[in-house]
Amino acid sequence: MRRSLDQTSMPRPCTITLLVFLTLAIAFWKTASISASKEIFTDITEQAGITWQQFGGKSQDRFLIETMGGGVAFVDFDNDGLLDIFFVNGGETPHGKSPLPLSNALYRNLGNGKFENVAAKAGVDKLSFYGMGVAVADFDNDGYQDLYVTGYPASALFHNNRDGTFTDVTDKAGVKDAGKWAAGAAWFDYDRDGFLDLIVTNYAQFSFEDPKNCELNHVRAYCAQTAYTGLPLTLYHNNGDGTFSDVSRRSGSDKLIGRGLGVVAIDVNDDGWPDLFIARDASPNLLLVNEHDGTFEDIALDAEVAYDQNGVAKSGMGIDAGDVNGDGIPDFVITNFNDQYHSLFFGSKSLAFSDYTIASHLAGLTKTFVGWGAKFFDYDNDGKLDLMLMNGHINPEIDVTGVDVKYKEPALLLRNDGNGVFEDMREVAGAAFQRSYLGRSLAIGDFDNDGCPDAVFTTLNGPPVLLRNNVSQDNSWIGFSLQGTASNRDAIGAKITVTSGRTFTRWIAGGGSYLASHDKRVLVGLGSGAKPVDADIRWPNGIVQHLSNLQPRQYHHLVEPASPPRLKKPQN
Amino acid sequence: MPRILFLAFLILMICSFCAAQSTEARSHADRGLELAQSGDLTSAESELREAVKLEPTNPEFLSTLGTLLAMQKKLDESTTVFRKAVQLAPSDLKSRRYLAANLWQLHRYSEAKRELEVILRQQPGDAPSRLLMGMVSENSGDYATAAKMLSSVPQEIEKQPESMAALASSYYHLKERDKARATLEKLASLHAVEPVQLAARIANQAGDFEESERLLNSISGTAGNSPDVEYRRASLQYRAGHFAQCQATLQPLVSSPAATPQMYNQLGWCYHKLNKPKEATESFEHAIALAPADESNFVDLIKVLEAHDFLRVGLDAANRAAGLFPKSAAIFNLKGSIESRLSQFTDAITSYKHSVEAQGSSSEGWLGLARAQVSAGLIPDATSTCTTAIERFPKDARFKVVYAKMLLNYVSPTDRTAGARAERLLKQAIANDATNPEAFFELGKVELNNGRLTDASQHLERAAKLLPQSSQVHFVLARAYRRLNRTADAQRELETFQRLKKGKSSENQEGSLTDEAKP
Repeated sequence: MRRSLDQTSMPRPCTITLLVFLTLAIAFWKTASISASKEIFTDITEQAGITWQQFGGKSQDRFLIETMGGGVAFVDFDNDGLLDIFFVNGGETPHGKSPLPLSNALYRNLGNGKFENVAAKAGVDKLSFYGMGVAVADFDNDGYQDLYVTGYPASALFHNNRDGTFTDVTDKAGVKDAGKWAAGAAWFDYDRDGFLDLIVTNYAQFSFEDPKNCELNHVRAYCAQTAYTGLPLTLYHNNGDGTFSDVSRRSGSDKLIGRGLGVVAIDVNDDGWPDLFIARDASPNLLLVNEHDGTFEDIALDAEVAYDQNGVAKSGMGIDAGDVNGDGIPDFVITNFNDQYHSLFFGSKSLAFSDYTIASHLAGLTKTFVGWGAKFFDYDNDGKLDLMLMNGHINPEIDVTGVDVKYKEPALLLRNDGNGVFEDMREVAGAAFQRSYLGRSLAIGDFDNDGCPDAVFTTLNGPPVLLRNNVSQDNSWIGFSLQGTASNRDAIGAKITVTSGRTFTRWIAGGGSYLASHDKRVLVGLGSGAKPVDADIRWPNGIVQHLSNLQPRQYHHLVEPASPPRLKKPQN
Repeated sequence: MPRILFLAFLILMICSFCAAQSTEARSHADRGLELAQSGDLTSAESELREAVKLEPTNPEFLSTLGTLLAMQKKLDESTTVFRKAVQLAPSDLKSRRYLAANLWQLHRYSEAKRELEVILRQQPGDAPSRLLMGMVSENSGDYATAAKMLSSVPQEIEKQPESMAALASSYYHLKERDKARATLEKLASLHAVEPVQLAARIANQAGDFEESERLLNSISGTAGNSPDVEYRRASLQYRAGHFAQCQATLQPLVSSPAATPQMYNQLGWCYHKLNKPKEATESFEHAIALAPADESNFVDLIKVLEAHDFLRVGLDAANRAAGLFPKSAAIFNLKGSIESRLSQFTDAITSYKHSVEAQGSSSEGWLGLARAQVSAGLIPDATSTCTTAIERFPKDARFKVVYAKMLLNYVSPTDRTAGARAERLLKQAIANDATNPEAFFELGKVELNNGRLTDASQHLERAAKLLPQSSQVHFVLARAYRRLNRTADAQRELETFQRLKKGKSSENQEGSLTDEAKP
């Protein structure tokens, strides 16, 4: 007798339950996978073991310095091929004391997505001054990265001993910048003698004995920066013997008085000599063209980058350079205060530069933000330089008095369409971009060597955030690690032109962002498709080297040729 | 035969009637004149109205009625009546002169002039008409005719200080300063305080401060230094720009029992001009204490505090005033202005909304509201406010400028027409008001950014002429010149920009009670 369908086809209850459970589990897993793959960056701070926090010394005195610190650097200090991370702490103020002992942090990359704080062991955990930023480079060309830490009322140079430790050689080197509130710093070889020199942007005359009295909405608040008188730049010439000479006066930089912050050293006019672009806070920005004789000429006015279009000196904080529109000429971003917009300037062979702030949509995207760290990088390796920005206000009272401006502000990840028009990728950038911070410094580096640029940023009086890039591998890329011989070993000042169907121009710049230092390797996104890659390297000392048929999806370590280069045979 | 007799009778009756009417009208008119002479103008008017009613085409009655109405300041009706009289009796030059006098008092100068021209064509030497023509011409800015007419009737003008003042004013406008001073000398020789003050005011208005001061000093220490006179003297000194002297004149007055709120108020303005904000504040507070119901002292106090960048103190005063005068648009406008400068945009928007509710017909509240909304990033609200305000105040260029700036600076990525709309608005603003520097400035910047360099430089030059103290305008003009390769011009403008900027930053560092926080 045939059973009815009712009796034979109906599954038993426990089977139904199992099927339902499996279906749900598969659906959940798929959803999770889809969500994870769509997130551009993942916050891995906690799983990386990074527990350090910045301390700004917040106090009733409302010293402006309390709002401005938090430097960070990607640095491979032990030459194991993995980028480590150095965080600069702030400091205590007369009435702003830390409940715990203050310390910088040097997180050694263990290679498995984990990091370990070895600052104490390395001898870079303590500062005798209030810390601000960090500039990393091999100043003595011994193959190991050294650290210059800025601050008030002094700065310090830590020489890498090549054994995992550092020695404070500030006094011996003569780079203390004593008595000054130093903010940004950048290594660059201004005289092309093969040794990296150092530019320090000093901010303002300041003393913990002189708290200023300002109010916002009847509450004691941080004063406007114009309450503080600016300072001149400090330029140190590397003598090549472990010492430096202060050439501020000789170079003319001692006359450039203003509230200096972010600095980037890059060849603006393509004459092979590094120039300087300095963001200043309510002082006109500086565009210092290298005159090849140890002096610089400020052409910011002629370039129309000193002030905004109306002649107002904006509150410039962070700065970066990169070829945003693909014309082979460096372009610049400068972060400013709320209602000023972060600025975007297209560089030009002839002056003036173009102010592309509104047309790029940067104006609309940044109107309500106070910006600090800024970095051009190609997050998705499509060949177009994108932009990440750190934001965060200084006055908590703004939450009461402001309408659209808030104290904590989100970071921005902006995708470039190739012509310098940016799109906010907030919705897919990752959970870290859905939160708001008192964002400050930002550094970019490929800490897991997968060809995807990662990021780390600091927050005022809070923990940093380490972001792992998830999407770059979808496109092809090529990486360069340069080693100078006649040029400075880090090859700061090199220009790399990559051709692979399209042409991409990149530089190894000094400085960039705000109080930060970055991975010195150059990552060039190539987009989709596999095409041969050629590259022209213009080394800092002027030698031009041409390379053909380079393999993508790997880093190429290149050593500066000692003599005129031979053309590499094309590979069949 | 009987018909003829009847007709004759009828005619006789009519004539008798008319004669009776005429007689009655005449008696009304005569009675009216008697009453007028006795001072009872109201009854006189009634009698003359009766006379005119009975004989509506009698120019004599009409003229007399017109005179009576003018004596009672019923100028419009008087003018109508005189017009009728003149139409009926065109050769009646006296009535025509009275008509002209009415029109002059009604500020209908061109009509007055036409009537006087008729008189003077027939009687060129008619002194009263020449005098009146002189006054009309002075009022309408025809100073050459005014001087010619007034100087031709010296005996007439000596009887009327205002006409001597008008002659002096005309001479000043014609750059004949010596003649002006001579005329004022004659005016002052009348040896009364009011004529001397009038003379001093004329000299002051013409910018002849030396003469103004001399005239004022001539009545100092005489019977003319009663508190009221000294106060007026101080006012003239203030208008002459002699602020220290104004303060010196007022100081003993405010220390005396005769002190008035007006004196304290004037003293406050003197201190403001002397850059003594603390003293200015004290003076205004005294004025407020003496006249707590007078809103104007609060308004002046807040204005001065804001001008000296004492924003926190100014806001306290504005809050105090707002509590006392909750319907004062002026006070809420000032409150909103200070709140905006402190970046307290939420509060500023509330204040300006109060102002608009209190006095929606005033454009200042609407303008402040739009600007505050833009600053606060409330673009849809600001758009709505600007649109409404442009409809309400179609000739006020400022709203078009605010709207245009918003379109230029807060462009939505999807709005491709914003730039063109902004440019259109700026051109409309310039058509509304060719003296609005901001319209020229913003239009110049748009053209500069679009590569229309010649147009840009022209508009920016105009902005610089209208607002020579603006560092921004000179900066942008330098940019335009630079792009036009006019290097020397660019350098000059840049130097001007740097000089103005330096002056402004050093001003900001002085006179602050507290530093301003970073908002």
